[in-house]
Amino acid sequence: MSKPTDLIQGTLGLLILKILALEPTHGWAVAQRISQMSGDVLQVGQSALYPALHKLEQHGWIESEWKASEANRRAKYYSITRTGRKALADEAANWERLAGAVTAIVRTA
Amino acid sequence: MLRPRLLLRSVLHRTQVDEELDEELQYHFDSLVDQGIERGLTRQEAHSAARRAMGPVTQNREKCREVRGVNFLDDLWRDLRYAGRSMRRSPGFAALAILIMALGIGANTAVFSVVNAVLLRPLAYRDPARIIALGTREIAQGPADFQQVSIPNFQDWKSQNSSFEAMAVYGSREAPVVAHGAAAYARATEVSAEFLRVFAVAPFLGRPFAGDELKQGSDPAALIGYAYWRDHLGADAGAVSQTLRVYGRSYRIVGVLPRGFGFPDKTDIWVTALMSADDQKYRTAQNWRAVGRLKPGVALKQAQAEMDAIAGRLAAQFPESNAGRTVAVVPIMDRLVGNVRLTLYLLLGAVGLVLLIACANTAMLLLGKAMARTREITVRGALGAGRGRIVRQLITESLLLSVIAGAAGLLIASGGARVFIALAPQDLPRLDEIGIDRWVLVFTLGTSVVTSLVFGLLPALHASKLDLNEALKQSGTRSTTSGGVTRMRGLLAVTEFALTVVLLSGAGLLIKSFVALQNVEPGFRPENVLVMRATVPVRPQAPEANRYFREILPKIAHVPGVLASGATMAPPGHVESSGAYFVDRMPAQFDVRSAPEAVLSVVAAGTFPALGIPVKSGRDFNEGDTDGRPRVAVVNETLDQRAFGKQDPIGRKIVCTYDNFEPMTIVGVVGDVRQTGPAVAPQPECYMPYLQHGFNGNALSIVVRTATRPESLEQTLRQVARETSPDVPVAFTTMDASWGENVAAPRFRTVLLGIFAALAVCLAMAGIYGVMSCAVGQRTGEIGVRMALGAGAGSVLRLVLGQGLRLAGFGLALGIVAALLGARLLASMLFQIKPGDPFVYLAVATLAGAVATGASFIPAWRATRIDPLTAIRHE
Repeated sequence: MSKPTDLIQGTLGLLILKILALEPTHGWAVAQRISQMSGDVLQVGQSALYPALHKLEQHGWIESEWKASEANRRAKYYSITRTGRKALADEAANWERLAGAVTAIVRTA
Repeated sequence: MLRPRLLLRSVLHRTQVDEELDEELQYHFDSLVDQGIERGLTRQEAHSAARRAMGPVTQNREKCREVRGVNFLDDLWRDLRYAGRSMRRSPGFAALAILIMALGIGANTAVFSVVNAVLLRPLAYRDPARIIALGTREIAQGPADFQQVSIPNFQDWKSQNSSFEAMAVYGSREAPVVAHGAAAYARATEVSAEFLRVFAVAPFLGRPFAGDELKQGSDPAALIGYAYWRDHLGADAGAVSQTLRVYGRSYRIVGVLPRGFGFPDKTDIWVTALMSADDQKYRTAQNWRAVGRLKPGVALKQAQAEMDAIAGRLAAQFPESNAGRTVAVVPIMDRLVGNVRLTLYLLLGAVGLVLLIACANTAMLLLGKAMARTREITVRGALGAGRGRIVRQLITESLLLSVIAGAAGLLIASGGARVFIALAPQDLPRLDEIGIDRWVLVFTLGTSVVTSLVFGLLPALHASKLDLNEALKQSGTRSTTSGGVTRMRGLLAVTEFALTVVLLSGAGLLIKSFVALQNVEPGFRPENVLVMRATVPVRPQAPEANRYFREILPKIAHVPGVLASGATMAPPGHVESSGAYFVDRMPAQFDVRSAPEAVLSVVAAGTFPALGIPVKSGRDFNEGDTDGRPRVAVVNETLDQRAFGKQDPIGRKIVCTYDNFEPMTIVGVVGDVRQTGPAVAPQPECYMPYLQHGFNGNALSIVVRTATRPESLEQTLRQVARETSPDVPVAFTTMDASWGENVAAPRFRTVLLGIFAALAVCLAMAGIYGVMSCAVGQRTGEIGVRMALGAGAGSVLRLVLGQGLRLAGFGLALGIVAALLGARLLASMLFQIKPGDPFVYLAVATLAGAVATGASFIPAWRATRIDPLTAIRHE
């Protein structure tokens, strides 16, 4: 099995957008959810997560806000923007095409 | 795609943003710890596991900042500070580079501010692109022909077209105007009904002309300009409904036009046009100018096509006057600036070359500096600075330099524009609009940035290509000098020299042409002649005009210091009237347009000696040639030769199509005068005594040959004029000044191109000097060895000079080729010489050779003083 960090370039952004499209949350929860939802196949370290979050914010695809977390601490909550949703749709479609193509090649005996 | 708002926050509130990032990371860390404890680790274990999982925090924090774009700005700021420090470290270098670039940018900004004001800025009318000048065009004369229009033709154009929403005729002159009892000249323009609609202008005080005021023979009304209202009527709202006397006729002021409107020629007073019966009748009486405003959405081509069709119909209907003629439809802007466009773009091009030369010089300076900084740069490279990063830092330095130079250049430009205006010909349009506006600032900033890239990129790229290993191995303080740098500097010097040669050639051609223009024999003696223009305020044909001049001319003749005096309706350099002439008698049938044409002038007795025009045979006019006596005429030599060949003209008859067609007896032949300035060959001319011809006889220029400086008599003559009649305004000039206006345009471009070429020569000299000094510095060891082996000072001198002259020779050859190609652009500006004039290029080559020799000589001489021992040890 490949190492969890071997995420294809740009895929992390797609995952983050997907998670945030479900509900606004903070960085830690995003990482947790990625590993839960992938059945612990994908692990995102903070070294990749936070630059990716900040980059998405810089693009205007997500925005942030300080709120109290479930543990009743101040945490930075990210939520997806309208342009972010559009980007998510594009990226998801792209991904499916790419994944389909790779699968098609790999399955050829 | 960076969000400016977020970026701004990241920069301005960087501590807060950084703290927030830390807090975010801390939250992540704490959550990791909590998770560990949940899974049964001790707090201690959970802490170290979390720390392992987090990885190198500082580096990641840096990554976050990078995606936010903070580092870019940080680096820029650091680079700028560093650039400032390095400038302060070598102030001499910085000052020299800034001076060179400031001169280049300043000169360009000055010329651009003129080009901007005169050619680029739209005219200050509403929808100026729709305002069109209309003229009569003789088709055979080509597309540039543009003549005045006659009233009957104009009326047909106006009534038959559907392209224009308004069309008007106008005529403008310096007129005698009496306001508040004082007589003075003012620019008065007669206009027809739709004139204000053409310009979409309305009085801000009072009202426009009313319908009945525009009918011929009705109540005359006047509109005045803002400046006239302010300067002559005290900016008084009550000025409306006061009266002005223009040419002796009373006009009621009905309105004041807004500030800034002065079409045409800075008009002071617009009056309703008064057209003579002849004007209204003859299609050949082309005495008016015309303008129109295109309807919205009508293209120039469409309008031209329609006017061509109308002209075609008129030509069929009135072949004797209109055959072969059409309507010239030209945007008003082109009519205003058409003839200065080439000159201004030429100057802009020339000054652009100066800037390129300045760039080449600065690039050479920077290359030298980059070489001296090799070590610094390699150390930075060795410590991990990327190639892009190093280039960026060096470019930032040249950018800073350039922007400072640009600011200094703006100062130079505002002074330079003043010099420009002072040198410019009086008739250069829109001179008063020249100034530093938004576009000039944009131009300067743009020029600064672009030039910084031009002169900064080469040295920066070179520096970034350094071989770190090689460079670091070089010992101590000595800088490396690779062959690449030497070649690059040589290339720059050659380019610079070639550009200089191009400028020199252009300036040389213009100078030679101007000298030729100055050496033209004008046919009279302009020095020491005072010209006093006087206009009797009556309609041009009124006979009582003569009385004033009959009275004042004898008085002036007796003023002490006056050697000779006379009066003419058109002093040399100006033509007021020209028309067909016939020898012996007027033919019963003739075609005015194909008959031989002569310049027609009315003069007073004594004019020829006053102007220094020699009487070749026969006699001058005298006091006896008055109305009622036999009609007489004097012709010039050209007319004599064309009309009479070898026969004696004296006593023969001539008829001129002037104010009456009666035959005149030729009583004298005078020498030719260049009537329209030195550049044009003399035309046939027929002089008539003003006392026998009333037409134009109300506005004469009294010409006075003086014993001393002509200006010294001005006060006395003004006094005489006031005593003769306070209602007649007078204006003074000297024949020298008025004749000089004919060559003002060539003088202007010659002087400016000369200045630019001189600037270029200085820069090129500095450039070659720099390259050669450097070359000598590099070859110190080699020269030392040569001298130790017995080479004499002479051979060392030859060695270095040879190298310098080789560079110059390449530059010269390139430059001459480029100049020969470019000189064709100048062809229309050259008088009596061809763009390929060999003398000019020979002179340029000689001068360039001298400059190159001079610039290489000091380094060469220094090379001969090298002490072989020191030099070898030095290496």
